[in-house]
Amino acid sequence: MKLRNVIESPCGIRYVVDQLELQSGFARRWLLDTPMMTSGEHIMACYSVLGRFAEFVNRVEPLFINTLNHKLCGLKDIRTTIKNLYSRSVLDDIELFEVKHLALLATDVARLMDQHGMAGVVEIPALDEVIDILDPDGLKIATFYIYDSYCDQLKQLRAQMRQHPDQQDDLLLQAGELEETVRKDLSQRLHPWASAIEQAQLALARIDVNVAKALQMKQMGLTFPALSGDGTSRYQAMFHPQVKDALAAHGRQFQPVDITFGHRPTLITGANMGGKTVVLKTLTLCQLLFQFGFGIPAATAQIAVKDEIHFCIGDEQSLEKGLSSFAAEMRNIDAVIKASRENKKLMALIDEPARTTNPTEGAALVTALLRVLADKDMSLVMTTHYDIEPGGARCLRVKGFENGAMDYQLVEVQDGEVPHEALNIAQSLGIDSEWIATARTLLESSTTQ
Amino acid sequence: MLPFINDILRYDSLSIVGLEKNTGKTECLKYVLDRLPVQSKRIAVTSIGIDGETVDQVTRTQKPEIVLREGMYFGTSEMHYRQRRLVSELIDVSDEGTSLGRVVTARAITDGKILLSGPSSASSLKRWMDDMKQRFNIDLVIIDGALSRMSSASPAVSESLILATGAAYSANISTLVSKTAHVVDLVNLELTSEDNLRRLLPLDKGLWFIDKDGELHSLDAMTSLAREIHFQGMDGCKTLYVAGALVDSFLEKVRKNKDLKQVELVVRDFTKVFVTPQQFRLFIKAGGRMTVLQRSRLIAVTVNPTSPSGYVLDSDMLCGRLSEAIGLPVYDLIKNKQ
Repeated sequence: MKLRNVIESPCGIRYVVDQLELQSGFARRWLLDTPMMTSGEHIMACYSVLGRFAEFVNRVEPLFINTLNHKLCGLKDIRTTIKNLYSRSVLDDIELFEVKHLALLATDVARLMDQHGMAGVVEIPALDEVIDILDPDGLKIATFYIYDSYCDQLKQLRAQMRQHPDQQDDLLLQAGELEETVRKDLSQRLHPWASAIEQAQLALARIDVNVAKALQMKQMGLTFPALSGDGTSRYQAMFHPQVKDALAAHGRQFQPVDITFGHRPTLITGANMGGKTVVLKTLTLCQLLFQFGFGIPAATAQIAVKDEIHFCIGDEQSLEKGLSSFAAEMRNIDAVIKASRENKKLMALIDEPARTTNPTEGAALVTALLRVLADKDMSLVMTTHYDIEPGGARCLRVKGFENGAMDYQLVEVQDGEVPHEALNIAQSLGIDSEWIATARTLLESSTTQ
Repeated sequence: MLPFINDILRYDSLSIVGLEKNTGKTECLKYVLDRLPVQSKRIAVTSIGIDGETVDQVTRTQKPEIVLREGMYFGTSEMHYRQRRLVSELIDVSDEGTSLGRVVTARAITDGKILLSGPSSASSLKRWMDDMKQRFNIDLVIIDGALSRMSSASPAVSESLILATGAAYSANISTLVSKTAHVVDLVNLELTSEDNLRRLLPLDKGLWFIDKDGELHSLDAMTSLAREIHFQGMDGCKTLYVAGALVDSFLEKVRKNKDLKQVELVVRDFTKVFVTPQQFRLFIKAGGRMTVLQRSRLIAVTVNPTSPSGYVLDSDMLCGRLSEAIGLPVYDLIKNKQ
């Protein structure tokens, strides 16, 4: 599972990735191709590197970050050239230029990092010898051609070219052969460096990504997570960056949420517009950000590593597959149940399952789902509007509509009884009064019967 | 040195555009490159070509190579760079690709020949030009424009231009003169007022008008191509602005509308005007006024009196008639070379 595969997840991870100020297209491609980490050790090692970068961007002058970023802008994708180098092909001038350009860039960036106490945080192989091969005159500028100093005979031919422009075509032909000999020689001498050059390219991409992540943490107010060893994840003041920014654009504030969940299934109930879906989105987002090594949108976070993350949001219709929203949802949840039997550490976040069918069967499906998943080793968080028997599930409720305002905090309750606030909320939205009043009458007559 | 070489040096970009194949655009580029002071100015050359145009699509003749002089910078595709016939030093390889590979930028170490095929769109060309100015302190960028792609000559891209016309455009002197004069008229459209410029420049699409009280309104149609355009509430309107293409049918509607007798019709620049000489003349005759937000400086018009079919017009007569019609000197570079 690569970042590329989850980028369109409805949890909104694209927003966070798109907000990264990456300098090079290569770093973006590299980032999208990074696999999701499923080892706690690996994840924490990444955060330790990111921690050094966070400290670094806070410590150095913003002007220096600009200088560094300006350099990183020059990072190009030269994987084809590197492949040719590995396979002992003769590189052409453009490819030799690319190698020289990268070697100079890597050396420059390594020097900048060293100067600011970041030596070895991301290992950049030394490529001085590569530069020497491609810079025979020691000019240290990122330009390239088959220099006169590679070959005396070539030098003479070129001098003749200037003196006898009428013979240029013939002289060019002769020079061309000599140039090709030089290219062969250069390619041979560069071949042993292929791996170091490849490593340097990746190192620069990692630096680009880490600087961007560190700056983003500062800008969005993200935190470093701790690794949870007991399978339980705990968040304090968790928020969804995209929703927060959208609210801020309308002059409103996002109310952060505290939540803890783990081995026991967690059932979230609450009024409409209570932010239940946003909680699930944010939990999914945080889990993905954690396993791809980004800052976490919360005040504090302690997160358990999972092998698979399933986010089932009910209203996705699969038009291409010709499935209705109900069928698409059933298949998604089915995948969760199947995966739960495979001895994997799972996290499943299921938003209002079976919401589009009749309440009798819907409630039965949800109750049954809870029972089926209850004894599996998984973190399950599910929202619902149905009044169901929670079984062994922990129940959280959105505080809800109080004094004319929505309180999005989650409180632990003993049973899964759902709040009956839909009519009040609809009324506060200014929905047609005849409709609401009629509904009220119907409700009252059904309860008195 | 013919006078227009000095004119060229007053601008930091020049586009050379041929009105038809074989109107001598390449001759003109050669002529200019041969005469520019390479020692005192940093000069870069590129092209906005039909992708893959190594062989002339119309006449099946080989696309001509350009002779560069030592010290000149140039941008071309990877493929054409590999076919170069000069010694040159690579200074950049762009991320943007064309159908002939990425655009590479280099500096000529010796004189020699190169096929030019630069960035493939006006916007990537503009980026390349800005990059040349900022990173390599280039004084003048010269663009070998493509047939039927005026976009490179747009003032949004280059400050000045040279038009190449000739017998290939029309074998009849009168027709050639009037067709060329029409293009020159469009290039020379006056700039609009400072006030209009400030208000209209940010609007890059749609149709807009400024009413008699100076209020800016949008017309409901998005482009001048729309079949139904209602000029309502426009009595006494001073300015009508077409951000996109201006076409015949729209110009005719404006001309025939009584409320718009006094209107100043503003277009973005001459490359957005797609009206026939007839409609344009009728509009001007009826007292219409057309202005632009951005203007390129027309440096010269050059002619090639020889058509690819072998027909040769009288060079002196052609230059004389054309010069009279457009009020600018006209040069036959091939004849003057001999």
